[in-house]
Amino acid sequence: MNPLSEQHILKSRNQIKSIVLLGVTTFVLALIAMGQGPYEKLDIWTTAKMIFGFETPTSTEHSIIWRIRFPRILMAIVGGVALATAGALMQGCLGNPLVSPLTLGVASGAALGAAVAIMLGFSIIGGPLAIIGNAFLFALIVVFIIIQLGSTHSVSAESYILVGIAITFIAGAITSVLNYFATDEQVSQLMHWSFGSLGRVDRDTALFLTIPVVFLVPLALKWSWDLNALSVGGDEFAISTGVNPAGFRKIVLVFSALLTALVISFTGLIGFVGLAAPHMARVIVGNDFRKLIPSSAIFGAFLMLFADTLGRTLFAPIIIPVGVMLSVIGGPFFMYLLIRSKGR
Amino acid sequence: MVLSSIITVKNLRFGYPKNEVLKGIDLTLHDNELVCLLGVNGAGKSTLLKCILGILKHQSGNISYGNVAQAINVGDGNTSSQSISSEDLDPMQMARYMSYVPQSVKSSFSIDVYDTIMLGRRPYIGWSISELDREIVSKTIEFLNLEDFAFRKFNQLSGGERQRVIIGKAIAQSPRVFVLDEPTSDLDLKNQIQVMKKLKILVSDENSPKAALVAIHDINMAARFADRILLMSDGEIIAGGTPRDVLTPENIQKVFGVTSDVIESQEDNRFWIHVKDEIGGELEHKHVIWEHQNNEDEG
Repeated sequence: MNPLSEQHILKSRNQIKSIVLLGVTTFVLALIAMGQGPYEKLDIWTTAKMIFGFETPTSTEHSIIWRIRFPRILMAIVGGVALATAGALMQGCLGNPLVSPLTLGVASGAALGAAVAIMLGFSIIGGPLAIIGNAFLFALIVVFIIIQLGSTHSVSAESYILVGIAITFIAGAITSVLNYFATDEQVSQLMHWSFGSLGRVDRDTALFLTIPVVFLVPLALKWSWDLNALSVGGDEFAISTGVNPAGFRKIVLVFSALLTALVISFTGLIGFVGLAAPHMARVIVGNDFRKLIPSSAIFGAFLMLFADTLGRTLFAPIIIPVGVMLSVIGGPFFMYLLIRSKGR
Repeated sequence: MVLSSIITVKNLRFGYPKNEVLKGIDLTLHDNELVCLLGVNGAGKSTLLKCILGILKHQSGNISYGNVAQAINVGDGNTSSQSISSEDLDPMQMARYMSYVPQSVKSSFSIDVYDTIMLGRRPYIGWSISELDREIVSKTIEFLNLEDFAFRKFNQLSGGERQRVIIGKAIAQSPRVFVLDEPTSDLDLKNQIQVMKKLKILVSDENSPKAALVAIHDINMAARFADRILLMSDGEIIAGGTPRDVLTPENIQKVFGVTSDVIESQEDNRFWIHVKDEIGGELEHKHVIWEHQNNEDEG
């Protein structure tokens, strides 16, 4: 075989090894996280043995593991994978490292929806899901605006970002007005929704959210060639390798926005993972989207698990929401990684 | 020998509101032919190339591609000898038929040179890279002598190195037609000649018929390597033919506004253009004003 081909295969294998190692680390972290909680008998070791069937749990223990702890861990993984993948996809197709799943205004739309439900009492579905349902509906309206924008002639990557910023401002302004006239209790309720948290999700919801995410990742991998072409050479270069940039960008953005909407409607605002996980993955595997997407997804899950576990244990029994924790610990770590990788 | 046409452009028009760029272009490209497109900035060279590639949608006229089905393995045997209009091809089929080197690339995230060249194989790749794709990319890298930086990041390269990598991507694409927009603009003299020579080798291979359409500024490079030259001015092709027929002092004066001589080589059959008057009256005038101001500053 050609020595260059051999070198390429070797480099590729080493990157895949790093990704697998990252995956194993994340899995171990998930097991550790499963062993954390106020019920002290279920420590890391005992819980792990019960999960793998080496020990039989009592029915209470079974409930704690599978009904209380598991949904939270699953949601951390699914949410992390979804937001990080969406972030990587969006950064690639808009050719901008500052883009995150919240850039297009989906989150502001969701926050406005939640505010409308809390303050005006208007929601599409009643009961305990009122806020979540509204957040999702308003996020969908933003997705619809993105689709309309994508259908107009010759829309550029910059237009998407600018419209996203405009949506963020408009939705933010309306939310502020609602906040201004709201009672203290309503304001605190909205604040509470905005802190991204994994505690609101039950097992069925977590499993339901897993389905689209499981479909997304292989699809995203299929898109990685087009993302590589777009990010290496821009639109005209991509066309010459068989990509239709306008159509592709629209599909990718709508898909990413939908996924983001699904996750943040349930969890509240978690912005940092979608921005940081792809950059962290870049430090390890570089910009090739075939490797970047899976490693971003795993990094997303890792970050969410890490931040949530720390948030639950650091000041137990007080739980610090994952969204807050992520920014507090993730921010400095992210800066460190960027400075280190630039220095190389 | 009967030359088969692989691109035929008829009465092609393209423009923006209040600005017609292409005013009825006719051209034909044949197998085993390297055609150079010469003209001043803004003459419409890049626009013409982009219309042929389908990046810009022409407003009227017709572009058809000959032997497409055969070249890209689509359709049944019956259609192989017919030409296909540009509207009938999807982007992926276009990419198998034509590869493009743009004037510049806008890189936001960069990957290894090897993987950048691998993007040329994208029209052929389903899910994963095959042994053949890898072999083609490795051979392309050797063909263009890019081994030294095959595993460096694309954005860590110099402008000229990048340009050679993009040319590598176009070659790895194994197209029927190379469409190159100023492929040598960032290259040093040696690499300019090497790239053109290698392009000539690829195009001249009669076992795998290919053609190249190259927009270029260097008249002497075109004179040396082109089988045919098309001279473009203000959205029209005003002269076309062999370098000797087209590159006359009259034509050069008409298109570029400079006076020149054709000089015959004593050693071989080559000729080159000696440009005599490079700075027009207006430029000289500005030069004088500039000196005048400098003198005032000193005073």
